[in-house]
Amino acid sequence: NWPWIPKLKYGERSQVASVCKLCGAGCGLSIHKVGKRPVTAQGNVEHPLSQGGVCPLGSCAVRLLYRPARVKGPVKNNGGKLEPISWDEARRLLDEKLRGGKVACISGDENGSASELLAGFLALLGSDDFYFMPSDGQVSSIAWKMMGGKGQLGFDIENSDYVLVLGADILSSCGPVVRNQKAFASKKGKYVYAGPVQTGTAAAVDKWIPTYPGQEGTLALGIAYYLLKMGKAASLSSFARVRDFILSKYTPVAVEAKTGVRASELKKLAQELVRAKAPCVVIGSDFGQGSGSFEWAACILVNFLLGNFNQKGGLVALPENKVIKSAPLRSELNQKVLPEFLANVAGGSKKVDALLVYEANPVYALPQASQVAEAFDKIPFKVSFSTFLDETALKCDLILPNPHFLERHDDAYTPFGVGKEIYSASAPVIKPVVNAKPTADFILELAKAMGFDLGFETFEEVLQAKAESLGADYDSLIEGSAYTSNKWIDQDSLSLPVKVLENGLMPEGEGVFLAPVARNYLGNIKQALTPSEVILVKEYELNGKDLYVQVNSATARKLGLKQNDRVKLQGSGRECVARVNITETVMDDVIAAPLGFGHEAWDEYVRGKGDNVFKVLTIAEEKGSGLKVWNRSQVKVVRA
Amino acid sequence: MEHIEFKVKWGMVINIDKCTGCGACMVACQAENNIAPMVDGSDKTMTLNWIVVYELSNGKPFPEHEVAYLPRPCMQCGKPSCSTVCPVVATKKDEEGGIVSQIYPRCIGCRYCMAACPYHARYFNWYDPKWPKGMEKTLNISASPRPRGVVEKCTFCHHRFMEAKEKARYEGKDPMKLPEDAYIPACAEICPTGAITFGDLNNPEHKVAKLAKSKYAFRLLERLGTEPQVYYYSEREWVRRLADNYLPNEKTKGE
Repeated sequence: NWPWIPKLKYGERSQVASVCKLCGAGCGLSIHKVGKRPVTAQGNVEHPLSQGGVCPLGSCAVRLLYRPARVKGPVKNNGGKLEPISWDEARRLLDEKLRGGKVACISGDENGSASELLAGFLALLGSDDFYFMPSDGQVSSIAWKMMGGKGQLGFDIENSDYVLVLGADILSSCGPVVRNQKAFASKKGKYVYAGPVQTGTAAAVDKWIPTYPGQEGTLALGIAYYLLKMGKAASLSSFARVRDFILSKYTPVAVEAKTGVRASELKKLAQELVRAKAPCVVIGSDFGQGSGSFEWAACILVNFLLGNFNQKGGLVALPENKVIKSAPLRSELNQKVLPEFLANVAGGSKKVDALLVYEANPVYALPQASQVAEAFDKIPFKVSFSTFLDETALKCDLILPNPHFLERHDDAYTPFGVGKEIYSASAPVIKPVVNAKPTADFILELAKAMGFDLGFETFEEVLQAKAESLGADYDSLIEGSAYTSNKWIDQDSLSLPVKVLENGLMPEGEGVFLAPVARNYLGNIKQALTPSEVILVKEYELNGKDLYVQVNSATARKLGLKQNDRVKLQGSGRECVARVNITETVMDDVIAAPLGFGHEAWDEYVRGKGDNVFKVLTIAEEKGSGLKVWNRSQVKVVRA
Repeated sequence: MEHIEFKVKWGMVINIDKCTGCGACMVACQAENNIAPMVDGSDKTMTLNWIVVYELSNGKPFPEHEVAYLPRPCMQCGKPSCSTVCPVVATKKDEEGGIVSQIYPRCIGCRYCMAACPYHARYFNWYDPKWPKGMEKTLNISASPRPRGVVEKCTFCHHRFMEAKEKARYEGKDPMKLPEDAYIPACAEICPTGAITFGDLNNPEHKVAKLAKSKYAFRLLERLGTEPQVYYYSEREWVRRLADNYLPNEKTKGE
């Protein structure tokens, strides 16, 4: 009838399993196919992390195969002109550039064996400059190690009857969201959320407690104060000092001044937690990154005081695993902090000859963008292994496209936040629709050409070895049944340095608190807003090309702002242009701003829409750990 | 007005207290029903999506403010306002199951139905659907793409109903007595918090039949008499109160 409308191409229907790699949650997918073509992605009912559900981003997975921004084949970036080269040529070039030089790597794959492989390759090259993109999971690992802990922390919220969430938007954007939503849906008790904005989590939980951004740790210690008053104790070697410090410094008055949460509310929370059979306190920055070891130490302490460590429904320590001999364990890799590395490169104290970027977009998604750009300019040879033409790829000398995750072998090992050890693996669902080559296989080839032995010929062998080392059946993993275990790691003596606890007492700077808001339908730090999600964006997040930021009416009055006013948010020497939306979903003296806009690369679905809030986040140094934190950025709001 | 009482009445109960506003239902719907992406999504008078997640507010200032999300598919009204105004019989409610049909080749794009629908559940194709090169390979073979100039709306993934009936017949079972979950629309299937329950409102064995009778269940603009087959559930009074035009002295349903 309508020849200009696409005709449906019929074929036999089937379903195959896959594992989503669009964020760190590692959901099991069920890919519906017609003939050889995948058509839709749905949740895998058999998989413990998706249980048939999937987030909006995961739901777009199949359509992303044909996102216009895909890198169509290996290219050399000749001053902005992308010139095609062959894979062999690319390998020879890398062989030449990486030999004898100082090589670093940035990976956005926080749970996959590909990162392990890259870290192992770097180790053979004599470098330990492997960095994950920053995340709360990484900081939890740093705090846990600082306390002398072993394994990876997780939250067994499925079995909890009282979940108190401080900051982390666990039902919208933080951690394994679908699994969190499933746990929430079948909850036995109560969920309480404390944060500056009424996010998706705040909308659904039993109670929302407004609290200033970046004050999650202080709030936790405010609760710890009452728990200590009740005589609760934790088995820490430094417990007496920790207790005295909290009782003298984190008094309800001090905590209220910092967090905005009343003493009576803190006391009530403490009492409800104590009354619960299996309470769990979850912490995190409200946008999934930028927190410090202070927040995590405070969270660990509260859970210890509640006596729920390594208990059903509580905070748990999970085992670790690796199969690449030369690679460090994930918890060791997590000790290396990317913003610190980039600051050193930008400042000249660290020299790097070559940088490999895997599945990450640091040029877009890191705070203090000017410093990132400066660091990138100082590295003479950069390679991006990105599936899509993102901001980082455009800054690299070589772009060697990794296939879309549906076109390659991949895996996910115990995503951060889950309460048990989980391993999922997947095989390609379709042949690459562009000239892409799995990065992991390319690295194995390259290593071999350079005379290194990583112990495996193909990446599939790595996954098979991983399955074997866990005692899992590789074929069933590929078919969609994840491996799980309920092993929790016993700990030796733990301690908590009091110095770190001082961070909650630091005076605040000037300006309005900035609460960046991440939502899965706005894309994430890896994937820009997808074509299918464009219509999901709310009018109060983006209108035309204008980014919208949110303040409540009291704050608007204070700042002299009216609806739709054009403003500039200024922070860390940069600024962000936006319009004002007045809404009561934000607490007093806080400005909420959606993350995910202001892309300069990608495709017409995102390019030039709104502004990038990452630019105005300010990095501060944490006392006691020296860690970089940016969860309590403040901005100056001026009229544009 | 013609009104048929059906033996089978497909319906939804959407638990607003469980919805986190994630939007997975909206994306799943697009993929299932071959809705093409749009470059600009901010002009909501031109966008096209069969299910929309609205943000609700209790209207109070911070800190008394509360927020909730309400996914809105087609209500599949028992007494539809849309089908009665259609001059070309492109939309009808005449099939067992009680789903309001939409027959695209018949639609002349007059948009009377859009004006008549009190729920804004109908959408006009202002443009021809355009998929980026290659993305047309991901089209669902069960749903035909529509051209510009026609109105479309949620059909409770009617093709899935057809497939479920066909499967039942093939297995020698009664297609008029589909068991729970034998037929379920894409939005309900994907919802990560299980906020959307789907089934036959007339079948006491289906969860929806019981849920729809709950004290906290309500429908949108119920007093218009459209008899929607989509129910909502919320224990929050202010949410229920937003659902209809209450006078200040009237008690909210469920209170």
